[in-house]
Amino acid sequence: MDTAVQALGLTKRYGATTALAGLDLEVQRGEVFGLIGPNGAGKTTVMRLLLDIIRPTAGSATVLGHDPREGGSALRRRIGYLPGELRLEGRTTAGELLRHFGRLSGGVAKGTIEGIAERLGLDLARHVGKLSKGNKQKVGLVQAFMHEPELLILDEPTSGLDPLVQQEFLSLVRDAKARGQTVFLSSHVLSEIEQAADRVGVLHRGELIRLGGVEELRAGRQRRLRATVRSQPGLRAALESMGRVRGLSLVERDGEVALTLSFEGDLDMLVKTLARFEVLDLLLEEQVLEDAVIDMYRNEAS
Amino acid sequence: MNLYRRELREGRRGLLGWAIGVAAAVLLYMPFYPSVGGPELTQTYIDMFPPELAALFALEGLASGPGYAQSTYFGLLGFLLISIAAIGWGSRAVAGAEDSGTLELTLAHAVTRWQVVLETALALLTRVAALCVVGSVLVWALNGPAQLGIEPTRLLAVTLALFLLTSVTGLAALFGGAVSGRPAVATGLGALVAVAAYVLDAVARLAGAPWLARLSPYHWAYGSDPITAGFDLGGAAALAAAMAALVLLSGWRFSRRDVGTA
Repeated sequence: MDTAVQALGLTKRYGATTALAGLDLEVQRGEVFGLIGPNGAGKTTVMRLLLDIIRPTAGSATVLGHDPREGGSALRRRIGYLPGELRLEGRTTAGELLRHFGRLSGGVAKGTIEGIAERLGLDLARHVGKLSKGNKQKVGLVQAFMHEPELLILDEPTSGLDPLVQQEFLSLVRDAKARGQTVFLSSHVLSEIEQAADRVGVLHRGELIRLGGVEELRAGRQRRLRATVRSQPGLRAALESMGRVRGLSLVERDGEVALTLSFEGDLDMLVKTLARFEVLDLLLEEQVLEDAVIDMYRNEAS
Repeated sequence: MNLYRRELREGRRGLLGWAIGVAAAVLLYMPFYPSVGGPELTQTYIDMFPPELAALFALEGLASGPGYAQSTYFGLLGFLLISIAAIGWGSRAVAGAEDSGTLELTLAHAVTRWQVVLETALALLTRVAALCVVGSVLVWALNGPAQLGIEPTRLLAVTLALFLLTSVTGLAALFGGAVSGRPAVATGLGALVAVAAYVLDAVARLAGAPWLARLSPYHWAYGSDPITAGFDLGGAAALAAAMAALVLLSGWRFSRRDVGTA
């Protein structure tokens, strides 16, 4: 059995709302698979279905060769899960809570909890109720990784982590992959998981609208650019001539132009176009997938 | 039994608080039996009240030590305090943990839904039993000094009745949470069972309708007056059956529904 996760027509409806509409997906053993999509796309629904926290309206899922419902606790022992909305409460310390989860999972090798906590910079002696969001997220990560499960299901694992800890998280994922563990993770932006993922699927309104390697998706990535440029004629025309530019706005003030735009495609062209002007400030960031982009993916697919 | 142990460890402070409350109830009422109870004084109260009210509050019970302990503590304050504590625990067991979002992570581990219901129910029963024991140990300690004259086995019988009765209200709350996932529904159902049990019994006595009392868990516990008559196996069996039904229905329903979407 080489498939870690398999979904066939997996569907979840809540009354008239469809959270997941017939998902077909296969994640191979040993693979790092990323699910990308804006909030409400159905990422959390997929993961909860795989852990038997909720049950499908139609279709089926197979996790490590078992139906999540039939696999029961024996199956979940082989999975490490980080919920998207992680809530930790109680008067216990982070260390005590982690040991409790370790006992539920049937034991954790000595020193593992301390090892991962140290890598992420988590103080185990602090009380969980008093931890910041980022530190709670670290507790969630430790409990997912500590029993070295065959499959890791991580819902928005990088949320709330500062960039340095994000890097350490990615190295935990690489180590897991090196040991042969499968990692199924999600994010609302590609940039936070692209270094770790082998393959990526884009989920939108409960449908998988794109599936491919990280490189393919990177090329089609939306970027938002904000820049300040010395006023000079021909700026607008030059930017518009690139094509694939949306939401262009130019505000001129005191001989400077503040510009914002959304850009998708060949970055080289954007840089070379801008280089013809005197750039005073430049900020380039990844944009959460917008409906317009998603429609474009759809059109390409059909 | 990891969930059971954790539930007890997390709840130890709350349990201590409720134990102090129960102890206070016993210590505030029992020592005063010699000054407010007894046959002559009681007749004075009964004459003061309209007959319906006297019947509602079972004032004739104040005439004897056991009757006094029954009317003040076992039938009223003890029942009230321990029921409230049990309903709180029952509501938190599934619905509270689900509502706060902590249940999702627990269920993602190697535990079953049945295990969650059974272990939290057992933790609830353990704590209810602890409160009942605290109350009755103090009643026993004051039995001599306050001239209550309660027989030891009868004290055991009424303690068992109190334990079973308050467990039913707590498990009703757990059941409400297992079905709905909502703390308000859980607490509401527990409170409804407790109030309905008390009111049905009282109304049955007022209206002289014994068939009505048969519907009331309060009557199953205290209808045969265990503090003077001793163990009532039929009543205890009815309460135990209700507890078992609530636990089984909770586990059955909780195993079949989505978690965290209420």
